[in-house]
Amino acid sequence: MEAANLAAFAGALLVAARLAVTVLAGGPVAAWNGFLYADALSALVIFLTALVALVCGVYAVGYLRQDEREETVAFSKLRKYYVLTPLFVFTMLLVALANNLGVMWVALEGTTLASLFLITFYGRKTSLEAAWKYAIIGGAGLALALLGTILTYYAASRMLGTETVSSLNWSALATRAELLDKTTMRLAFILILLGYGTKAGIVPMHTWKPDAYGEAPVPAAAMLASATLNCALYGLARFYVLTAKCLGPGFPSRLLILFGLLSMGVSVPFVLVQRSYRRLMAYHTIDHAGIMVLGLGFGGTLGTLGMLLHMTYHTVTKALLFLCAGNVQQHFKTDLFRRIKGGVIHVMPLTGFVFLMTTLAIIGSPPFSLFQSEFTILRAGLAAGHVAPAALFIGFGVAIFAGALLHIGKLVLGPADGAPPATGRPWRDSVLAVLGVAILVMGFWLPSPMYRLIQAGARILGGGP
Amino acid sequence: MSFFSDPQFGERVITLMAALALVLQLGMVSQRWLITNIRLFGVQSFLLAAIAATIAHFNRAPHLYAAAGMTLLLKVVVLPLWLERLVKRVGIRKEIEPLINVPASLLISGGLTLLGYVVAESFARPAAGFPSRELGHNTLAVALALFLIGFFMMINRRKALSQVLALLSLENGIFLAAISLTYGMPLVVELGIFFDVLVAVMLLGILVYRIGETFESTDVSKLRRLRG
Repeated sequence: MEAANLAAFAGALLVAARLAVTVLAGGPVAAWNGFLYADALSALVIFLTALVALVCGVYAVGYLRQDEREETVAFSKLRKYYVLTPLFVFTMLLVALANNLGVMWVALEGTTLASLFLITFYGRKTSLEAAWKYAIIGGAGLALALLGTILTYYAASRMLGTETVSSLNWSALATRAELLDKTTMRLAFILILLGYGTKAGIVPMHTWKPDAYGEAPVPAAAMLASATLNCALYGLARFYVLTAKCLGPGFPSRLLILFGLLSMGVSVPFVLVQRSYRRLMAYHTIDHAGIMVLGLGFGGTLGTLGMLLHMTYHTVTKALLFLCAGNVQQHFKTDLFRRIKGGVIHVMPLTGFVFLMTTLAIIGSPPFSLFQSEFTILRAGLAAGHVAPAALFIGFGVAIFAGALLHIGKLVLGPADGAPPATGRPWRDSVLAVLGVAILVMGFWLPSPMYRLIQAGARILGGGP
Repeated sequence: MSFFSDPQFGERVITLMAALALVLQLGMVSQRWLITNIRLFGVQSFLLAAIAATIAHFNRAPHLYAAAGMTLLLKVVVLPLWLERLVKRVGIRKEIEPLINVPASLLISGGLTLLGYVVAESFARPAAGFPSRELGHNTLAVALALFLIGFFMMINRRKALSQVLALLSLENGIFLAAISLTYGMPLVVELGIFFDVLVAVMLLGILVYRIGETFESTDVSKLRRLRG
């Protein structure tokens, strides 16, 4: 099972890289009569998803083996994990590959269904509670998004005068979006924002997020916090492009800025007084979802570029952060700050070091890459004349910076309490080391094809071909 | 049998059935027994299947027959039977236990129906240049009302299974909106949605069962250990 999983994820990553190269060289590609369609934006999301899947797959081998050794979970449960994870990854890839916006909805709902029993993996009372919230809030949210999709189809079929499968196809809609019925699209966008916003966990539909991220096994939580978030934002962004073309960018931008700032603002107090580091990271993800939505809302060349840069950097960094937290949790058997007396760095030097470095990166301190993307979004806001939102952005950013650094700093750098150093964990430590080097390098240098892919994706978000 | 090909007659039949579906939804709001609720949902789904078939017949949209058939199979037969079995296995006897009492709930539902009509009104006056070819906006108003009342029921209910039922009736509203606005979604999408609904209800059922076993109650307002 382990080998099959790893082989599948490695294969997916190779195909994704190949797809990205093809799209960069020759523009969008379609397959199966236009059922599947990939442009630079999809290629970027697909590549990031496949990357996270492989990284978490490798980590999961070590993580689950330890769980099994310590008899936290039975062997049969491991099989469940290795069956559900590829399904989960498949649905996420389908989100980005589907041309038809209806199929995209089906795939997004599929990600919820496939990950539901990953959240109940440990079978604790709290994990049942988390799964219930995840399913019900997610289900209600996606119902809103479905109604939005239907309204878009209504607008499209009136515009095109036919009702065929292709009238919901992105490739057909994007070129003629300005002809769509305006009243319908306004309502549709609001529904989509609420619906896919629920899936992305932006305030006020975020309440499932800390529970789900805190209860799922760590590699699954890492995927939820990075790749699934990307998929939801991707769906939202597709509809943003249609709405901006149809109604002008003003209307969707105002809404996105509002919800983005709300997400950032609400997560601040929860980060500051948090007791559990897993939940701290979840609230931090809400904050980052807010930042990306804000970047999209600021719009323009800079805003969309900033959003996609942030998405790329956040995916790698947040996944690594969760994996570090997983090591800590497995060693100390708790996710509460107060139960961990000594500093992590004395017991697990590599984990502690990478944990601290990743925390510095994720809260956006230079020289790490998230500083650049947040700065780009800030510049976009000022360039577009949104001074007050930009000022709030800085304020919330600083508060979260302080809160997260204080908590994680204390956790990692606390005094040695004489606990013996942990034994080596080859699977997980290799992942940590590789990704740690990667985020360090990314702070100074992004491979040029990657950057060109992000630029091309940003052009699509700006309404280009 | 000339009225079988008269579109006006078809429209009237559809409006009548949509109104009945709304009445059933209000029945679900006021009902306290879970089993009755499941049966009401089954009847409501049957009406939706009939509406889909009627539209398919009068407007020559043959792919809607497929949607009607799927609804009949899935939401009229499979899901209600499965849910009833689940109710017996978990051993829930009665009690939907809404947070707000029944008269007030009905009043709120009435308000939501009005809201549905207001929203549907904005669709009844299409922008100039578009051919007006949608069904009477009555059906759309009912669809939106089903959707909003479904949402309200989800918030208003405490028991896990009754929330699942509310989600299902909300989905019925979406289905009605889809068939009344556009004669249904493209078949691939429709199939995907049906598949998702089926899997979602099955998974939620399993979850309800496990919650019932672990907490010895399916009152989800008791699930409040995770906070902050």
